[in-house]
Amino acid sequence: MSSNNETIGKTLGVVVGLCLVCAVVVSLASVQLRPLQQANKTQDVQRNILAAAGIESSADVFKTFNENIEARVVDMKTGEFVETDPNSFDFESTKFDAKRSVKLEKAQDKAGVQRMTTESPVYFAKDANGKVDTIILPIQGYGLWGIMYGFLALDVDTKTVKAINFYKHNETPGLGGEIQNPRWTSMFEGKRLPLDIVKGTAGNSEHKVDGLSGATLTSVGVDNTVDFWTGDKAFGPFLANVRKGALN
Amino acid sequence: MANAKEMKEVLFGPVFANNPIALQVLGICSALAVTSSLKNALIMSIALTLVCAFSSLFISMIRNHIPSSVRIIVQMTIIASLVIVVDQTLQAFVYATAKELSVFVGLIITNCIVMGRAEAYAMKTPPLMSFLDGIGNGLGYSVVLLTVAFIRELGGSGTLFGIEILPLISEGGWYQPMGLLILPPSSFFIIGFFIWVLRTYKKDQVEAKA
Repeated sequence: MSSNNETIGKTLGVVVGLCLVCAVVVSLASVQLRPLQQANKTQDVQRNILAAAGIESSADVFKTFNENIEARVVDMKTGEFVETDPNSFDFESTKFDAKRSVKLEKAQDKAGVQRMTTESPVYFAKDANGKVDTIILPIQGYGLWGIMYGFLALDVDTKTVKAINFYKHNETPGLGGEIQNPRWTSMFEGKRLPLDIVKGTAGNSEHKVDGLSGATLTSVGVDNTVDFWTGDKAFGPFLANVRKGALN
Repeated sequence: MANAKEMKEVLFGPVFANNPIALQVLGICSALAVTSSLKNALIMSIALTLVCAFSSLFISMIRNHIPSSVRIIVQMTIIASLVIVVDQTLQAFVYATAKELSVFVGLIITNCIVMGRAEAYAMKTPPLMSFLDGIGNGLGYSVVLLTVAFIRELGGSGTLFGIEILPLISEGGWYQPMGLLILPPSSFFIIGFFIWVLRTYKKDQVEAKA
């Protein structure tokens, strides 16, 4: 390194020049790759919705999704359908949009989500005759380390659980991370709301599911999440409307 | 100065003779975190090797113009930019794996191997040799990572690259998976054994007794 590198002018020049080059490279990568990343993200969510509906997704997730799933948006308070574009929701960020979300009081915030959107997409899967047979609700709640994002599939009777899955979480791999394990999630099939996740004593009870061993707090989190999202503060009004025949 | 023999030494030296993890004990953090499955370890290895090689290359190219008062910041800027590019690329092309690696790709920025090579080698060596040195150290990291991941995935989940090798008891087989291997601390033991075996073969790596 020659000594003329140490002048203030040279130092500033090198730093500014380098920052410009790096900024251009990073921005280019980000802008160029964004469409692909968005598509991946959407596809990931769609794959999970299909999984919750029990539909085998082919290689073309997008096509399978459009053929089998209908997305609509409901107002959380009234439980009525509204005309918002279901694709305008991002499950992770929309709840921080002040215009589209509300802060939850501690006492009401059973799932530990702090904020929730005032409207939410719900998804419907149809049987062979084109009649809705599954309602899929997006759910999220605090586990042990962070928010768990998933879907809960209910029968049209709004009381029978068809499936549950989680597509994003920070739980410990091998312990709480087992919430993604099909062996555990399949235990929810056919159970009826309200659900209770208990320690190893569920047996054949239709309201109880065995918790994950070694992951008590995660299990409690899942329990609270299901309770919250099927309760009055979240999809409760909508599910009540469904029982009154809103889908017909 | 860059004759073939020297280049070979720079490229393959770090794999066993001067392994960044086993001998220099750098970059342990990510080696613990991403080695529960081979696939993650492989992608992480590729990502780190690329970042290490190209950051060394670019730093070496401008090494004669970097004022020494800001050299670490200059190195960090280059490394960080490369890491962001790699991270964005992973999210675009291997989304599922990128999701699992999550924060650890970003943490390549602070990976001591990359910083160490930039500061110790690339700052005083011409670009071609620095590039090879980066690849060499990336390979050294990869060898350890893949070894650890091989043991952890096989012992902890009974699979390799997600393909079932040892059928688990819970799925009707005979193998009771070893829970410890799923958790990050097991990497400590495996890396420890790795260093032990390596130093039994290459006695010159044993530190002199104080």
